[in-house]
Amino acid sequence: MSVARTVRSFFRVGPREWWRQLQYIGDAKSGTLVGTDRFGNRYYENLNGHEEVPGRHRWVDYAQHEFNASQVPPEWHSWISHIRRDPPTEDPVIQKMTPPWQAPYYENLTGTRAAYRPYNTVAPKINAWEPRTARSRQ
Amino acid sequence: MQASRALIARQAPRSLFTNNIQSSLRSLVLTRRTYAARATTPVTPESPVTQKDPVPPLSPSTVRSPGLEYYLAGADKVPGSTVNPYKDGPSALDKAMTSFLFTELIRGMWIVLEQFFRPPYTIMYPFEKGPLSPRFRGEHALRRYPNGEERCIACKLCEAICPAQAITIESEARADGSRRTTKYDIDMTKCIYCGFCQEACPVDAIVETQNQEFSTETREELLYNKEKLLANGDRAEAEIAANLHSEHVYR
Repeated sequence: MSVARTVRSFFRVGPREWWRQLQYIGDAKSGTLVGTDRFGNRYYENLNGHEEVPGRHRWVDYAQHEFNASQVPPEWHSWISHIRRDPPTEDPVIQKMTPPWQAPYYENLTGTRAAYRPYNTVAPKINAWEPRTARSRQ
Repeated sequence: MQASRALIARQAPRSLFTNNIQSSLRSLVLTRRTYAARATTPVTPESPVTQKDPVPPLSPSTVRSPGLEYYLAGADKVPGSTVNPYKDGPSALDKAMTSFLFTELIRGMWIVLEQFFRPPYTIMYPFEKGPLSPRFRGEHALRRYPNGEERCIACKLCEAICPAQAITIESEARADGSRRTTKYDIDMTKCIYCGFCQEACPVDAIVETQNQEFSTETREELLYNKEKLLANGDRAEAEIAANLHSEHVYR
């Protein structure tokens, strides 16, 4: 029952966390903390099918007030999207495949001053005519 | 050649018009014969009540449907006439209850009431996310080799196979003699996310990552160039490589 689940979550996670979940997720959930990424987002899991509906058993608690779906870094994205079974802190494949030159993740910056703006990566092939007079040649 | 053409010229009018006339005449003659046969042995259908012989004498030359035979044989001789089709079904009272008291509505509303007290199945995006496949085709990325060297060799197979013609590539030889792209542009507003580019790529350079959260506020932000694509790959290399690793047994 949904009401019983909400009450149970209140006693499990405490009033402060419970109120925060109701304000952000809009639903009171309880589970085990699987890990935290470098931005402070916390990832939870509850595999009990009677407490959490299958498909809703993994969730993230965003660190920022202005939360955004793209704030999840790719390793945790593959966990929370159910692509990989194990979290990246325990997944040997993810850890082995992480190269030393991997760039730090940043979220989708559209709408901010840091947003991507396209530019040409080659020199222009058509140049405007620059008139050269006899004086400029000297 | 000439003989066959003459044959066609001679037979063409016959097959168009004369054959129709002939066939209709033939059917007229057949009908006339049938009526003549019935006239010699008249059929007098008796009513099922007063009939003595269960099967009345019928001329074999007349064409009869099975229905006429059963009608002439009598109602109790019809196969299945003694079976009560309503024997195992609901009674008339049950059917009247169903149709006049609208029990379907009540049963349907009861299911709605049950669902009202059950936990919702709605996934609370973006806190919870739906399942994605390792083969999901999202935002593009250009990958590097584990030593940091960029993979793309400017073979332009992706540009050739792209059905939306969203990819533009220009290439030059580098100082060390290897050919690399100087321009690798993808117009993400043209892209249809078919995945042909990553299937055409011989070195797994261009891939479609699992990122689907790259919506932008302006259209020009979706005109990706090489730097943007390489940056995408540099950030998500672990996820891309893990997905390719999970798919390598099928490739």
